Order: sequence, then C-alpha cells, then structure tokens
Amino acid sequence: MDTAVDTLVRPFIDVSEIWVPEGDRLAHAGGNYGDLSEFGSISEQITFGKGEGLPGRAWAQGRPVVLKQFDGSNFCRTEAATAAGLSAAVAIPVFNNAKLMAVLVVLCSDSEERVGAVEVWEEHDGLLMLQDGYYGAAKHFEWVSQHTHFPRGQGLPGGVWASNTPILMRDLGSGYKFIRADSAGKAGLTTGLGIPIPVPGNRTYVLTLLSALGTPIAHRFEIWDCRPSAVGSDHAAVLIDGICAREGPLWSEDNERRIKAWEGQVGKVLGSGLPVVAKGLAGSARYGGFVGLPIYHDGSVARIVAWYC
Amino acid sequence: MAPQKLVVIGTGMASGRLLEHLFEIAPGAYEVTLFNAEPRGCYNRIMLSPVLSGEKSFQEIVTHDEAWYEDHGVTCRFGERVTAVDRDRKVVVGEKGEVAYDKLVIATGSAPFIIPVPGKDLKGVVAYRDLEDTNAMIEAAGNPGSRAVVIGGGLLGLEAAAGLRLRGMEVTVLHLMGHLMERQLDASAGHLLKQDLERRGIEVMLQASTQEITGTGKVEAVKLADGTELKADIVVMAVGIRPETTVAKAAGLEVGRGMVVNAQMESVSDPDIYGLGECVEFDGAVFGLVAPLYDQAKVLAKTLAGEADAFTVRQLSTKLKVTGCDLFSAGDFNDGEGRQDIVFRDPARGVYKRLVIENDRLIGAVFYGDTADSNWFFGLIQTGEDISANRDTLIFGPAYQGGASVDPLAAVAALPDEAEICGCNGVCKGQIVTAIENGASDLAAVRAVTKASGSCGTCTGLVEQVLAVTLGDEFSMPAEQPMCGCTDLTHEDVRRLIKGQELKSMPAVWQAGAWKTPDGCHSCRPALNFYLLADWPVEYKDDPQSRFINERKHANIQKDGTFSVMPRMWGGITTPDELRAIADAADKYKVPTVKVTGGQRIDLLGIKGEDLPAIWADLNAAGMVSGHAYSKGLRTVKTCVGTDHCRFGTQDSTGLGIKLEKALWGSWTPHKVKLAVSGCPRNCAEATCKDVGVICVDSGYQIGVGGAAGMDLKETERLADAKTEEEAIELAIAFIQLYRENARYLDRPYKWLGKVGLPWVKARVVDDLAERRRLVDAFLLSQTIYQKDPWAEHVREQAERYAPIADITLEAAE
Amino acid sequence: MTNIEWLDLGLLSDIPFRGARKVKTPQGCVAVFRTADDAVFAVSDSCPHKAGPLSEGIVHGNKVTCPLHNWVFSLETGEAQGADDGQIPTYPTRVEDDRVFLDVTLLRRRDVA
Repeated sequence: MDTAVDTLVRPFIDVSEIWVPEGDRLAHAGGNYGDLSEFGSISEQITFGKGEGLPGRAWAQGRPVVLKQFDGSNFCRTEAATAAGLSAAVAIPVFNNAKLMAVLVVLCSDSEERVGAVEVWEEHDGLLMLQDGYYGAAKHFEWVSQHTHFPRGQGLPGGVWASNTPILMRDLGSGYKFIRADSAGKAGLTTGLGIPIPVPGNRTYVLTLLSALGTPIAHRFEIWDCRPSAVGSDHAAVLIDGICAREGPLWSEDNERRIKAWEGQVGKVLGSGLPVVAKGLAGSARYGGFVGLPIYHDGSVARIVAWYC
Repeated sequence: MAPQKLVVIGTGMASGRLLEHLFEIAPGAYEVTLFNAEPRGCYNRIMLSPVLSGEKSFQEIVTHDEAWYEDHGVTCRFGERVTAVDRDRKVVVGEKGEVAYDKLVIATGSAPFIIPVPGKDLKGVVAYRDLEDTNAMIEAAGNPGSRAVVIGGGLLGLEAAAGLRLRGMEVTVLHLMGHLMERQLDASAGHLLKQDLERRGIEVMLQASTQEITGTGKVEAVKLADGTELKADIVVMAVGIRPETTVAKAAGLEVGRGMVVNAQMESVSDPDIYGLGECVEFDGAVFGLVAPLYDQAKVLAKTLAGEADAFTVRQLSTKLKVTGCDLFSAGDFNDGEGRQDIVFRDPARGVYKRLVIENDRLIGAVFYGDTADSNWFFGLIQTGEDISANRDTLIFGPAYQGGASVDPLAAVAALPDEAEICGCNGVCKGQIVTAIENGASDLAAVRAVTKASGSCGTCTGLVEQVLAVTLGDEFSMPAEQPMCGCTDLTHEDVRRLIKGQELKSMPAVWQAGAWKTPDGCHSCRPALNFYLLADWPVEYKDDPQSRFINERKHANIQKDGTFSVMPRMWGGITTPDELRAIADAADKYKVPTVKVTGGQRIDLLGIKGEDLPAIWADLNAAGMVSGHAYSKGLRTVKTCVGTDHCRFGTQDSTGLGIKLEKALWGSWTPHKVKLAVSGCPRNCAEATCKDVGVICVDSGYQIGVGGAAGMDLKETERLADAKTEEEAIELAIAFIQLYRENARYLDRPYKWLGKVGLPWVKARVVDDLAERRRLVDAFLLSQTIYQKDPWAEHVREQAERYAPIADITLEAAE
Repeated sequence: MTNIEWLDLGLLSDIPFRGARKVKTPQGCVAVFRTADDAVFAVSDSCPHKAGPLSEGIVHGNKVTCPLHNWVFSLETGEAQGADDGQIPTYPTRVEDDRVFLDVTLLRRRDVA
C-alpha cells in the first residue's frame, strides 16, 4: 500500500521512455507515461531515423540533448506533448564505445510549483560548463548554474568527471556547502545524482539530476557497480550507494547488496545492457516507477544508476 | 539477580558495538551509564569522509539514536567530561556529578597527533577526528576559491583532501615520505594513487616537510623546509593518532603507549576496569583500524557476560573511501628474505597487483585499479593456506583456479577482428592480420605497414602474438633482449614508451612498461634515470639513488674505496694559480698520487670519501669546478695550441675547444663523451678517435663523429664541414642531443651510430635545419637545469651526507 | 644478561630515500639503509668480495648492489644473492617516531672473541 508521501508528491519527471536502434531507426522499447496514456499510445507507434526528432538528434550528435521549447524545434510529438501538458525533454544516449545502445528520454511538464533540475555539463578547455538544463520553477538556480563552471574534482559535476563514477550527494542546500549551495538551498534542492555520460570521441559529458523534497525527481536513488574489477568474473552488480525515502540509507559497510544479471529490474539492465523503464513495481521498495540506466566503460556495463518515482 | 552497574566512558564505534553485543547476549544484566565528551551518541566515525565530501548526510551515519539508548535503558551523559575515576570508592566523577560502578569500561579512543611546528594553534588549523572537525572543514570550503593544505598523505589525510576538493576547494597534500600511504601501499601503488588524486585537481607534494604555519590571528600560509610557501585558509593535520589515555592515567592504571589490557580486555591493574578501542595497548600493539576494535567489542561483551573469549590480533586490510578510487592492501608486503613477489600490471587499464608469498603462503597483497577478488586474497592471507599448487595463476584470482589454463595466444586467437590492438594508432586485429597476409612477416614490417606498436610500444607483445597466431610456426619470436629481468621491453621500447606516453617519473614507467618488480633493479634504474632526465629535463627530477656511485659522489671510486678528484681545465688550459691550488690541496689532504691524464687534466687519486666536500670547497675557492671525470656525460675537450703558438695551425683550436667545453659541460649522456679539436690535419689533439672530433682546415672545420680508442678502435666518420666556429659548435651540440635522445644507455656514440647509421643522423643534424634548431634548443633547455657545478652544490647542500651519521670509535676508545 | 644499547642516529629523513648513511664503529663501518618502504636496515659497509662500500650501492627492494662488482646482498639476512657466495653481518635497528636507532651493543666492543 502506498503511503501518503507518494500520493501527495508529484514527481518532477512525468514521462520516461526508451528508444533502441532497429536497423537504421530508433524504435520504442518501453516507457512509463503515468496518467498520460494518450501521449504514451501515440509514442509507441512512431520511430525515429538518425537526426530525427529528439532521440534521433541525441544519436546523431552523440551527446545528451536538452529541449525546453517544443515549438519550432524538430520535436515530432509537439501536439501530443502539449496536449499532455509536457513542455521540456532531455534525451540521454547510451553508448557502448561508438555503438548506440539506446536513448533514454525524460519529459517534464511546466509548472510554477515544481522544482528540480536535469542538467547536461560539457567540457570546454578543461572546465565543465552548463550545456543546457531544465529547472522547472527554479529560475534563480538556473541563472546561477549558467554562470558556474567546474574544474576537475570540484562539485558534483567535477567530481563525477574526475572519478568517472556516478556520485550521489545529500542535502545539497542545507548544512552542506554544495558549490551552488546557497541558491540550491533557496530552491529547495536536496539530493543530487551525477552521472558520467560516455559518448564517442574525446568529449566529456556529465548529467546531473537534482531533486527537491517537495517535487522529487525520485524517492529512491541507487548506484550499482558491475565492473569486473569490482565484482569479479560473475555477471553481477553490487550496490555502492543509495538513499530511499522509506528505507533511509541503502549502503552498508557490513552487508553488501549484490544481484546477478536478470535478477530484478537492475538485473535486467545488467543482463540486457539496455536502459529499463518500468511501471508499478512489485519489488522491494513498492514505488510506482523505475528507471535504470547502464553506463558503459571499456565495452561493457561498468555501472548502473537507478531511480524510483 | 539485580543488574550490575556498568559505566562506559566514550561513545566511539567500539563502545557502540560493545553495547549491541552485550544487550544481545546478556539482556538485563547491566544498568548502563554512557559518558561522552562530545555532545552526541555513537556514529560511524569512519564514514565522516563521505559526510565531508557531501556524499553522505550525518543522519545516515548515526548508528545509535536517542530512541535506541532509551529502549535499552542507557543513561546518557553526553557533552560531559569525566574528570576522575576513584577506584577505591568505585565511582566515576563527571563534570556534573558522580556515578557508582561495578564494572567500568574506558573507551576514550584516540587523539590526533599534532606536529609541533610554530603556528599549530592558529585558528583554522584542524585535526580530522570528529564531527566538529568535519563541520569546520565544510565551513571553510564554503568560501569560493578557498585553499586547503592537508598535512599527511595517509588514509585520513587523503580522504579529507578528496572531500575538500569535491566541496570546491583548491587542495594541496603534503606528505613527508616518498610515496602516499606508505604504511598500506608500496611505491608503485602509491604512484597510481597520486596520479588519480592529481586527476581530481589535488596537488600532491611528496617528501614535503612542514616547517611553520603562519598567519595573524588565523592561518594564512604553510611554510616548508625547502622554503616553499603555500597559501591556506585551512590546514588539516592528519599525520596520525595516539591513544587518548588521560582518564586511564589519572585513574592510576598501567599505561604504556595505551592503557594496557589482557586478552579479555581487562586492565592489568584493576580487574573491574576494562579498556576498549583505540585507547588500549595489547601485546605491545595499539589499534587504529575498525576491524580489531569490533573484535575487541565482541570479546569484551562476552567477558562482561561471563563467557570465555580472547582477543587476538588479526591481519588487517585497508580500503580508501574516495569515490572511484579502487585500492586495497592487506598483510605484510615489504620485501624480505625468502619472500617472492608476483607483480601484475595492466598499463591500459591502470591496474597494478602485487602478491607477496613466503613459504608457499600468501602473506601480503596490494591492488590498485582492480580490487574484485580482494576478499578472496584477504581470505588466503588470513587462513595461510598453501598456495603452491595454483601459484602460477594465483594473481588472476579465483576465476582462473582449478585447471582453466590461461594461454595468452588462445586469448589473442579468440579476439574478434575489430578488437583494438594498438590504442595509440587505432589499429585493430583485422588490419594487422591483413597486413600479415599481404606479406608483413615480422614486427618491423607490421609496424611499417600498419603503425601498430610504433608509438608507445606497449602493444608490441600483442602484435607479436597476432603474428604468431596468424603465421603459426613460420613466425619466430625476435631474439631482442629485454632491458633487464624486470621487464619484457627492450631499451628502445622503453625510450619510445617514455616519449610516446609522456612518462615523467620512474613509477610511471614501471607501470606503463608492466615492470615485474616493485621498484626495478641496479641495471634498469640508472638507465631509466637517464632516459627520463634526457627526455623531460624540466619535469623529471634527477634521482641520485638511481645512479652509480661515481655519479652520485661526483668522484671516481677506486678499488680500495677511496676516490679521485679531477678539476675541470677548459680545453686543457690552466694557470699557475690553479696549479698552486691543486698542489696545496694535494698536500693538505695527503693525496698519494697526482697524475696527468690522457684528456689533458690533473687527477688527484686516493682521497677519502668524507674529505670530498672539503677538497671540493678548496678547489672551488680557487675558481675550479668539477671535471666530471666520473660521469656518463661530457668529459673533456682536448686541444692543441692552434694558431696562437703553432706554425702549422689554421684556426684557433684552443679557443674552439674552450667554447665547446663551456657549452657542453654538465650535460648527461648515455655514456661518456670525449671531444678533441686539432688545429691542423697533423691532428696533435688526436681528434680522429674521439666521440666528436674537430679538425681545423684553412676553409673551416671538419666535424667527425663516432671515433673510439678503447676496447674498439675506430676512426671518426665525417658528419659535416662547417664554415664558421658557430656552425661547428651547433653541429656538435645537435649531434650530442640526438645521441642523448635516441641511444641506448651505455652505448658510446660509435655503437649507436652502428645501429642507426650515419645517413640517419646526417638527415637530422645536417640537412634538416629545423630539426637541428630543435635539437640545439632542447639541449640548451636541458643545460639550464643540469649545467651546474655539482661540487659547489654538494658542498652547499649536502656536505653532511658525506660524513658518517654517527661515530662510536671515539667514545669507545676512551 | 646483557642490556641492549640503542644508539639514536637521528631522523629517518637524514638517510636518503633508497640510500644509506655510514656509522663508524670500532668494528668497521656499518651502513644504515632506508628502503622505498621506509624500512631501515643496518649491515656491514664492506663487501666480502673486494671490500666495496655497500652504503654507496643502488638499493632496490630490500637488497643492495655493491658499487664495485654488482654483488647483490639481502639487507635483511646479509646473504649474497644469486650465484655469488658471501655473507655480511647485520645489526638490529628500530624506528620510533621517525627517529632511527641502531643496536650498538656488539659494535662497541673492540675485539670480538
């Protein structure tokens, strides 16, 4: 049974969907559309060529793409999206070396109340600059972010870049001096998940999801390590960090959580090597939605990040 | 039975564990009062680092909250210091009153060690022990652009540095020792860790000795012994801890380094008082890592519950809590008699693994970059089982045990065609196979056609294996000798690697070249030292400890252990004053032999090692510098008198010789280099058997190279004719620089020329003017660093190193 | 019963990293080595082959190579390594708070029986 927390709080992200290459086109391979079933049924029927629409653009340009204005863009589903109240989207390509495995697209609806951030950081001359980001109502924080850059090792994006590892930060705005803390605190942002996004060539991209208590991106975040150098020759993953609104901290020094390929949703990500979006989970935390994103390194899935809404 | 009164002083992780165990195995047996000087209960102190970095919140690391204490009837006296223990009355005296005890546990933990330098008490100097310290650091990181200096490159110091960096600070780590975490890591793993931290923007300074912390009112800078000054808004002292024994001492209990306890954790002075955690000393040892503290907590809980148990000291393992940094160390990994190393390096993945084996048992392990099987190896260390049966594959971990053979050729054969073999040039297996099928039948041919292994050379072995797999028995592995037993690479491979991958330190070469030893040997170290300083004169720091004695002492060792000293005489020209000074020195230091050498110098033989700085100082005072008669470097430029006095002389040969010697002296070369300048083709200076010999003729200067007059006898070959003195000097410099950049260590120029051929050298030194310019510039850059009188430097900076560190012959004689 | 006499030689950093310093004793010179792991060993300074000064050799692992003819000795046992046959005396050392101490009990004596 759902607790009050989940029914009261509307998540920052309304729609998550997966697109995978079939021949020379991207085909729909699952999604969680929440109440927006009409937008969902339209989406299921279309495909994108390289360069077409938002997923095709992420493929062609080989980088994450943020879209904050559907009108006048090459977004193909503008009409349906507008009807569903959606107004912004971020496409995150999943590359294994030069090969595109899938594109994860998240869509948000415009709102005066909803606060959060989905940001794409890009390296220029040894510094990470904001390529673009969607912030909902957190306008001041958006401005601050546009005028911030991160050297290696500094802040959430710089830390992800330097360690080439996903990082989950806590209490972004409160007692902790997150680099943009002051503004983040005013915006109510609490938890930050930073993810390295490998792309072909020598470019560096970092995706950050910043979650606010009132309109969280997710209620539960997990980071799994599945590199052979961490788990051995088993096709398995260990949970290295995580936090959950219901269960509290998920990490444990003494009892490591470990799953094998195909065990549960995270296991499905590991086994298939593809992102997974699922709805109405029966699993451990009983949340309504699941997104699992594989991060490749050296030709295999190195880490998996998952969030539950 | 009524519960007994138990008082626990300290709420560290050990006492938290103790209470958990105690309430589990003996519920209701004790009424517990818990003192803590900190105003809070128990939290997981080792997780303070992720709290500092922002990767955990403090709430997440609280192990026991108020509700837990309440549930278990624990009376908490937090924020209250214990002032005394009255053992006669069996009461603990707190700041707010007394508590009676039947049993008392002292778990006061440890105190940070603060190095006794001026300024250590300034505001902004913090230790790294508790939440207050952590919050102070977070506070300091709040100001954009603020700078932190962390003193101590151990576990805690590095975690603090990484956390502060993630918080946005500019961070410098100062470490007194030669590599980071020297208690847990060897030099190679320490090097990889340093690289990793530097990639995060953290500056690491090794062998850095803090002299003073300065500032008015609050910390502003840290001064090092070498004069470096680093600005700092906060200074974190993380140099170590010592047991906190104030309470135990005041109670009159036996205290050594820590409070002394037996295997039941009972104080050796009082059977009703127990010690626990970092404050105790057991069997001469004190404890800093968490695993033994948990063991102690378990034993003490049983002791208090009346059950038998005994604490034993176990092998420990270490992991560093820096996100994305995979390292592991356990057991004893120092070199030792009868100990053998198995070293595995995978330069491409940045992996270093070292196992230490003694008597067929695994006794130590250090892993960097791949810690997958660390628990399995740690298990082998703890059980001490015989590993002789699977020794050959041990380092590959449990997956390879039990018969599965690891034939490298099979692995290469199984690679798909698109598998990349040469990362530098992006050559995949298929391209190499095609090249081989089209007739490239050896490494050189494959390299010429595909460029594979032509840059850094680390994939040379792989390319050879592709050749072997493709050609079968038509392929014979080349007989090229590796540099030494430490590596499979040849000298040439290593030189290519150093240039191609821009390796600028010895540990970097060991890692990239997959060295099989932890720190090389007497054969490869001097060669590497030369290659590095020749290719990276600015970035690489000369390592005297990787040089042969003569170059380290700047004197030639003789067979009886004495040394010879030879001052430089430019072009063989001297003065009466210099001769007098040499004669005086010979008298003063009772030099048994004074010899005129073949290179037109005066050599003083038979000088005692400890007299060297003094005689150098005397010769320096007379204006003379080291003649480098001992070095793999420029030795002498021999001249005839030339046009000044000789009726046959065509040019000023003495003048050119002096100019050449002044330009070249002090430079290091693969082997010694001797020059001569003769004023006419009669060749009185014997220039035609030198490494570089100049013969003056009416039309200018004939430059010959590659002569020899040692075990081999060889006449120079003509490199070029120069019209002017300047051009002659330029050609000589460019030739020597090309030799420095390309020759194998300990090859004289004639040997090197035999390998590369004179046309190859001419093309670069004579014909390609841009390349000649580059060579000259590179040489001059190197000279800005290495052209200095080592005598003066040693007299000034390290004269004391020439003297014994102690002398007990005098006292003993009394 | 004999009392061990520890002689304070000074700071660990006074000995060069992967190097050595000499101690003069009535029994001849003793070489005190510091290895890459900051371990400290004391052995006779004199190579049994041709009396080369071992304190001037290249230190690698816990071994030193004699500067005269490349004999290699274990600093722990004093035994010659490889094909060479020989043994040099070793002396106990300890390091405490970054200071180096040498056991000079035996070295003080002028003559050993």
